[in-house]
Amino acid sequence: MTVRQTRRSGPSASGDHFVLWQGPSVDLTQQRRRMGERVIKAFLVGAALLSVVVTVGIVVSLFAPLTEFFSHVGIGEFLFGTEWTVGFGNKASWDDKSWGVLPLVTATFVMTAIALLVAVPLGLGAAAFLSEYASPRARKILKPILEILAGIPTVAFGFIALTVVTPLLGNIFQFNGIFNMLAPGIVMGFMIVPTVASLSEDAMSAVPLALRQGSYALGANRMKTTVRVVFPAALSGIVAAIVLGISRAVGETMIVTIGAGLQPKMTLDPTQGAQAMTGFIAQIASGDAPEGSPVYYSLFAVGSLLFLLTLLINMISIRLVRKYRQAY
Amino acid sequence: MTRAEHDTVTPADKDATGEIAQPPGHVEVWRGNEHSPVEGAPDGVITLKDLEVYYGDFRAVTDVNVQFGSKEITALIGPSGCGKSTVLRCLNRMNDLVPGARVVGTVAYHGVDIYGPDVDVIEVRRRVGMVFQKPNPFPKSIYDNVAYGPRVTGMKVDSMDELVERALRGAALWDEVKDKLKQNAFGLSGGQQQRLCIARAIATSPEVILMDEPCSALDPIATAKIEDLMAELAKTYTIIIVTHNMQQAARVSQRTGFFTAEADEMGHRTGRLVEFDTTEHIFGNPSDERTEAYITGRFG
Repeated sequence: MTVRQTRRSGPSASGDHFVLWQGPSVDLTQQRRRMGERVIKAFLVGAALLSVVVTVGIVVSLFAPLTEFFSHVGIGEFLFGTEWTVGFGNKASWDDKSWGVLPLVTATFVMTAIALLVAVPLGLGAAAFLSEYASPRARKILKPILEILAGIPTVAFGFIALTVVTPLLGNIFQFNGIFNMLAPGIVMGFMIVPTVASLSEDAMSAVPLALRQGSYALGANRMKTTVRVVFPAALSGIVAAIVLGISRAVGETMIVTIGAGLQPKMTLDPTQGAQAMTGFIAQIASGDAPEGSPVYYSLFAVGSLLFLLTLLINMISIRLVRKYRQAY
Repeated sequence: MTRAEHDTVTPADKDATGEIAQPPGHVEVWRGNEHSPVEGAPDGVITLKDLEVYYGDFRAVTDVNVQFGSKEITALIGPSGCGKSTVLRCLNRMNDLVPGARVVGTVAYHGVDIYGPDVDVIEVRRRVGMVFQKPNPFPKSIYDNVAYGPRVTGMKVDSMDELVERALRGAALWDEVKDKLKQNAFGLSGGQQQRLCIARAIATSPEVILMDEPCSALDPIATAKIEDLMAELAKTYTIIIVTHNMQQAARVSQRTGFFTAEADEMGHRTGRLVEFDTTEHIFGNPSDERTEAYITGRFG
């Protein structure tokens, strides 16, 4: 081994060694092949790609038939028309039907709004109780019970809306008829309570204890601490929870199909039955929709609209979550 | 209600006839032990008598007898786990928030036991404010942070703007934030946030301010500012500070209490107040050898 030319610092001419070092050198190149790592990485990349591909595939297959649909129906007529008679008349004819989707959208909107009126106060109340008032033991028992509610099949909820809630409400609000929007809306509200409560509770529990202590030290009681400090600090997570609840309500199918019926009706009166967007899709897709028929294409139009609405809600949610996010 | 009234008259002070009477929880002001110089003895605005604190079955602190003086700075020092923060948290009943915490003995504020049955904890905390180890501003504007205490305690305020300005001036923060009162408090530096927390505490016009290692999360420059501020605040307020930094205790306080924890034969460590005296005495000529060992760095 020759004595290397000494320099003050920096790599030697070969770039491999710092020249000041006079002791034995070491081999730092890769010593053994690490196949396992590569396999795992390939699998993970595959998994990530597959979900993207499937999503893109769904979007494409949803939107592709739209060209055919909108070559027969004007976009304005579809979006702003107030009559939807797609299920009637000659199956092969485009011309004897009204293509206004607004009745379906209105029904979805009304029932979602009712659901939120139920779910937001109940969900936030439950979350505030679990996070701020309940003893650790009570929370450990109650939270899983609440989450079981999220596991009840929606068809069971729909059945409850039809057979229990509707007769009850009919007595109270003096309306007849099997179908109405109030019952499925309320039942749907109970269905999304666990979603709202559980996620909001997570967000509230994540608020640092130091903030609560600061509030108590200033003479605030538990209620004021919850409302004025914990809620604002957890707002980002609470908004996300509510928006997820909205998305579930908009996309919910069984409850609105069973509870609100299959008749498209342009009304804001919750005691009336009216078909929701998902209700229409469920009805036609499970019934008689010959491929290539006008009704068949209308499924894709309504489905795309539903998809876009949900997408819009999620985008608004991301905005709001960012806006209210706090760095502690 | 004037400031003087609301500071001295508590519900427990009046009996059924409306006369000011000796309340049942009244405690004679403790007059110090043999170490305590008679000259300038603390007036006992807060007096602890045979204080013991338990967390569940664990006895964290025992046998604390001390009186704090008003309008001066008292430092509580001692090694980790000696119970000094536990004692501090008894003084405005923040220990109430710890599940399983139990206080035995007496914590008397103006002679009234704050753990007494008729005492409203909110009234206690309005008079005995607190600043924490890590700055903990609320996720609100600077203005709303300061106005929080007066708002939640329903203080009658002529002009909230004025009150906020006074509190921020009192915390030596006004000049730095007067143009951004509506901005979120999280935009402030750590030292500014801690001064905001001090402003927040003085906004409710307390008499006593408890500080739990208020500078341990701050850099030396921000620490120096807070220490200057404390000296200024001590003209108006009674300050009791827990600190790990002995130089800080020596610099800012007039009186110092030294705590330590010793294991008994069962291996349970229980904190005790070893010595309480003027800061000069504690750091210059401590009476107890454990105090001397600690302040000279031989243990702890």
